Amino acid sequence: MKTLLNPLNSSNPCLLKTHFLKVPIFNPFFKFKPLPHNTHHARIAQVPSFAINSKLKSSQDINNKGKKSVSQKIVLSETSSPPLADGKVDINGGSGSENVPVSSKKKGGVSGLAKKLSKKVLQILSNLNLAIGEMFTIAALMALGTVIEQGENPDFYFKNYPEDHPVLGFFTWRWVLTLGFDHMYTSPVFFGMLALLGASLMACTYTTQIPLVKVSRRWAFLHSAEAIRKQEFSDTLPRASIQDVGTLLMGAGYEVFLKGPCLYAFQGLAGRLAPIGVHIALILIMAGGTLSAAGSFKGSVTVPQGLNFVVGDVLGPTGFLSTPTEAFNTEIHVNRFSMDYFESGEVSQFHTDLSLLDMNGKEVMRKTISVNDPLRYGGITIYQTDWSISALQILKDNEGPYNLAMAPLQINGDKKLFGTFLPVGDINSPDVKGISMLARDLQSIVLYDKEGKFAGVRRPNSKLPINIDGSEIVILDAIGSSGLDLKTDPGVPTVYAGFGALMLTTCISYLSHSQIWAIQDGTSVIIGGKTNRAKMEFPEEMNRLLDKVPEIVESSSSQQVDTITSG
Amino acid sequence: MIFSTFEHILTHISFSVISIVISTHLITLLVNEIVGFHDSSKNGMIISFFCITGLLITRWIFSGHLPFSDLYESLIFLSWGFSILHIVFGFKKHKNDLSAIIAPSVIFTQGFATSGVLTEMHQSAILVPALQSQWLMMHVSMMIFGYAALLCGSLLSVAILVITFGEVIQNLGISNNLYFLNESFSFAEVQYMNRNERNNVLQKTFFSSSRNYYRSQFIQQLDRWSYRIISLGFLFLTIGILSGAVWANEAWGSYWNWDPKETWAFITWTIFAIYLHTRKNTKLESVNSSIAASLGFLIIWICYLGINLLGIGLHSYGSFTSN
Repeated sequence: MKTLLNPLNSSNPCLLKTHFLKVPIFNPFFKFKPLPHNTHHARIAQVPSFAINSKLKSSQDINNKGKKSVSQKIVLSETSSPPLADGKVDINGGSGSENVPVSSKKKGGVSGLAKKLSKKVLQILSNLNLAIGEMFTIAALMALGTVIEQGENPDFYFKNYPEDHPVLGFFTWRWVLTLGFDHMYTSPVFFGMLALLGASLMACTYTTQIPLVKVSRRWAFLHSAEAIRKQEFSDTLPRASIQDVGTLLMGAGYEVFLKGPCLYAFQGLAGRLAPIGVHIALILIMAGGTLSAAGSFKGSVTVPQGLNFVVGDVLGPTGFLSTPTEAFNTEIHVNRFSMDYFESGEVSQFHTDLSLLDMNGKEVMRKTISVNDPLRYGGITIYQTDWSISALQILKDNEGPYNLAMAPLQINGDKKLFGTFLPVGDINSPDVKGISMLARDLQSIVLYDKEGKFAGVRRPNSKLPINIDGSEIVILDAIGSSGLDLKTDPGVPTVYAGFGALMLTTCISYLSHSQIWAIQDGTSVIIGGKTNRAKMEFPEEMNRLLDKVPEIVESSSSQQVDTITSG
Repeated sequence: MIFSTFEHILTHISFSVISIVISTHLITLLVNEIVGFHDSSKNGMIISFFCITGLLITRWIFSGHLPFSDLYESLIFLSWGFSILHIVFGFKKHKNDLSAIIAPSVIFTQGFATSGVLTEMHQSAILVPALQSQWLMMHVSMMIFGYAALLCGSLLSVAILVITFGEVIQNLGISNNLYFLNESFSFAEVQYMNRNERNNVLQKTFFSSSRNYYRSQFIQQLDRWSYRIISLGFLFLTIGILSGAVWANEAWGSYWNWDPKETWAFITWTIFAIYLHTRKNTKLESVNSSIAASLGFLIIWICYLGINLLGIGLHSYGSFTSN
């Protein structure tokens, strides 16, 4: 419990408004001149009037950028300062209610006009209803983007949104193509809305939320019992002492400030300030996303086992900020491609063993990647995304080895079918017949003879020959090829930072900011409080707390403290 | 084989227990308040919670991976999420109004999952390579908890709208069927006898009888519940979407692909952000925000089931057509 000052005059106990900042994170808005005694341990009444040197930042000063902020000297005494109303503080004016002479500098003509205009624009942008409307419009555009097929050629839209019987009576392909709805998520309309939302976010953070920090750090005591009774929750404890209430509140985790008969306690201030963090995190994510969209490279390639490629040949830029780096000269060699299977035969995972060689041919990195386990080098990330079969290596009548290229016949996610054909007989005749070989994966090959009848199944490792139509075929190997996606993305660190900040600040803003005021009126304590989020649990929690306040029972000779529950 | 019979038994137990709980609530609602049933309905919800937990754990052990791989399992997880919500929020108050909403949600979700529509999915399936990742746990569980909380909160908002506008319609004499609604909410009168709190009374012109006072108190109470639960759901949804984005970046190289499912999850997030912001304007905060939350209810179902029905995009694992 901290007793800051004892008043000389007991009838107006809470006139002095103290701005006492405890958390060192924030810059002190007000600087105290050191008092003659150490304030931390003050329990004795001392000087009621003292001089505060302060730097007032009124709203005019925010506009006068670069000009020195005016410093004033405020002398507080019990006669001159007016009584305070209950805790409402004006957000824009700050402490303008005190009679302090403010000398503001004159604003020059054109720059003053620009400042007024920007202030007006700022006011419009930070309007809440505008923001809600923007969010709604963006949601509607996104929904529309999922309904309308994206990225098709104009023919598709001519067919599906024809002019003679338009969808919903008016929606034709003209709407779709001029507004850019065929590439909705990169269209100017969508970007414009996002930019507007970003501007609103920044304006709101600047005008409303940052001043909120100043406001919520100001602790105003309520000095009248009526003001306290008007709170959402209020109660009267007939025979109690405010010190006991303060101790109990401290035990419950509140920060308590006691000044004479007045008490102010709060809890969960972070919950009120965290939404600012949410908005800042959103701005960070938008900035990172813009950087990603305008400055990254991407590309994909299917490389058969044993071949290699140069990074720079595969990557293409996505926007105007994309600049290639030195790492683009790296050559990537696919050493081996392999697949794992479940017992049922389906594909469980596929791996590629990669070597990275620099311009001189020296191996700089070697790693086996698989799905969900990419390779990172020099800002480039290589992901394993797909697989296919490139060729079958066979021996025909002990001649060879021949490499037969395999073609995809059917692709359905991870269920694929590849096939190849070995012609038998006269190659140049018009209806050449041959042996067909089909494979679903690298495990086993199914062979069919020249009439199309099933001939047998062989595994590439077994090297068992099979006799079809007089020829002896040995399947030596099934060569797979690895589907790789390459990407560089400079915006990722920013976006990840934004993601982390957003998760954290959203968690914190779930906390509820509760404030409690109390006043000692004779022998009874009047207590009241409010909270901004957990409105249901607050009265119960308060009642439970107040039940524990000891009741003071005065006997004729001495004071006894009873622990009978009161309230 | 024993595991699947065990699963069957657990499913049937939880299904029947919840049916009993719902029947007791209906009796309470329509006939008379039977005090002793509150404890039994609380116990009933606890029993069903343990049954569903057992069901999920059995599937987990049996298939070797967390029960998230397809639509059936995620629906069971959703009903589990509902029962957890009931336990967490319901035990703070003695008289729990929430179970009237949560219990039917649990049973409908589970009934749908267990019904004939999805029978081919009841067997545990293997995970395709793209789903074999640590992120699966966090992303899917956060999303489903978020859906559960948001669905619950938005149902409460629908209840607010029904009470508010049902009263208007009834007082205009249009429909007499809604009269029973007013009668049935009179059981809420009991707990508001001793409140001395200052309330944001809805200023209606026909504010005369004491029943209107208790109704507005009830609406205020529902409104606060709905706000708290939706805030929690919003938190889970945010974490789920962001962890999905990070997972997508690790697996496919880009954290946002405008996939239909991702887009609709973002639309859901936006609608509930609108909900939270409409509450800043304290005039008519309950009605406007309830409209936003009711819209959110529809959007969650589009996002969760509607996209899977189409079976397109990167999230096609959960579709009806894929096995």
